[in-house]
Amino acid sequence: MEPLIIKETEDTPEIIFNPEDETFKISKVSVPEDAYEFYDPIINWLKEYAEAPNEETIMEFDLEYVNTASSKQLIQVILALEEVAKNGKVIAKWFYEEIDEDMQSLGERYAKLVDVKFEFIEI
Amino acid sequence: MFDDNLFDKAFNLFSRVEKQDFEYVYRGYFTHNITKKILVLADSNIQKSVERSTIQKRIYYIMVEGLQNITRHQDDLENKADKYPGIFAIQKRKERYYVTTGNLVLNDKIPELKKKISKINSLEKDELKKFHKEILRAGVISNKGGAGLGLIEMSRKSGNKLVASFELVNEEYSYFYLQTQIPTTKKEKLDSDVQDLKLRKSLISIKKLHLSLIIENIILYFNGFFNQGNLLSLLAIIKGRMNMSITTIRLSNVMVEMIQNIIKHGAERSDEISGAPGVFFLRQKENNDFTLTSGNYVTNEDAEKLKDNLSFINEKSDKEISEYYDKILLDIELGDSKKSGLGLSDLRIKSGKKLEYSFHDMGNGNNFYILQTTVVNLQK
Repeated sequence: MEPLIIKETEDTPEIIFNPEDETFKISKVSVPEDAYEFYDPIINWLKEYAEAPNEETIMEFDLEYVNTASSKQLIQVILALEEVAKNGKVIAKWFYEEIDEDMQSLGERYAKLVDVKFEFIEI
Repeated sequence: MFDDNLFDKAFNLFSRVEKQDFEYVYRGYFTHNITKKILVLADSNIQKSVERSTIQKRIYYIMVEGLQNITRHQDDLENKADKYPGIFAIQKRKERYYVTTGNLVLNDKIPELKKKISKINSLEKDELKKFHKEILRAGVISNKGGAGLGLIEMSRKSGNKLVASFELVNEEYSYFYLQTQIPTTKKEKLDSDVQDLKLRKSLISIKKLHLSLIIENIILYFNGFFNQGNLLSLLAIIKGRMNMSITTIRLSNVMVEMIQNIIKHGAERSDEISGAPGVFFLRQKENNDFTLTSGNYVTNEDAEKLKDNLSFINEKSDKEISEYYDKILLDIELGDSKKSGLGLSDLRIKSGKKLEYSFHDMGNGNNFYILQTTVVNLQK
């Protein structure tokens, strides 16, 4: 499958989904005005990937800011990972700054709501 | 459940600026990084309203000089600048831009400053050019650039006289206000006395504004059209101002939600400028907690929905609101965060307090809607 690479902007994150390299990463800032527009192709890519994923998929979330519009789309990303998990092993790695309780609790919220294995990494 | 004066405070600030105009004030310590972001924010708002790029460049130049003045004086005074922070303001009113700086100076320096300014103001355009050359040639420039070259350039670029004023702080220091006015249309021919009076009037208005910002301890204030570009600059200013801490992160998160609320749902939009008009200010209270206040128009229909949403969210306990948040997060049917109230629930969770709000029917199909959240300062 073709990798999905999206460069970061001032208000949207960097996306690197590369099955061949076994790299799956969403990082930096996510505060766009229209989060749906940004995340729609990302979610669709993952849904397609879910049909024949790698044996193991480690998705890294390393985000600095997330607005609520993005948080609603990110749960769709994680729900798509649930689909991936039906055909392979999935781990979501949730990175957060030691001081950033808000980012930590957002990850914990997702982990509770979705049937995907989460690992929390304090940085 | 809100401060009775909240509406008056926010609406009075908002009413200072007419549609299509803007006003932006930063009050606090000026670092290189913050100065850069202030310039970006100010410049992006100028770009929206000035078609003639020469004028835009002039305004930019004047802002740079003004900001350098503040940092220069700030360095001279070191720790005193913490207690009496400087102020930078840019305003657009009708066909004119106003760049104003206010900073602490030693009272001893005032006579010299006054002399320089009145000398500059006494000169006509050609004389000013000559004077500029003279000073350059004489090379009497101290390492702090004290020859007044910056002042001469500000006056020349604006094509106007400089307006200055001193406000005594104590026996040692005063606030030095300096305003440059830049007309965007051909200069109106006015009697010099009338002209002088007009120039003074707007400085008095900003001094009054400064006083109310000091009283309320407002550190950031923006009044005008809100859009994603402005939001990102304001966000960078907050980040630049404070140490990285949970309080800063939370302030940033809360500010994003509040300003995006204005951007997405604000009424009275314009065809020419993206976003919606509103007011936003950040205040630090006596106990060091922060309050963030936004004010904007919403349609009467949206106001009714918002009132329901707000009272619904405020009635819930912390645990209930967290459960509600989970529910709407998963609910695809409620995809539109406006209907779901996800943004407001998030504000309630992050602030850990009830949301304060106020609605006022403007009688034109719109309400003026004010929202205030508190962010507890955990570094007290």
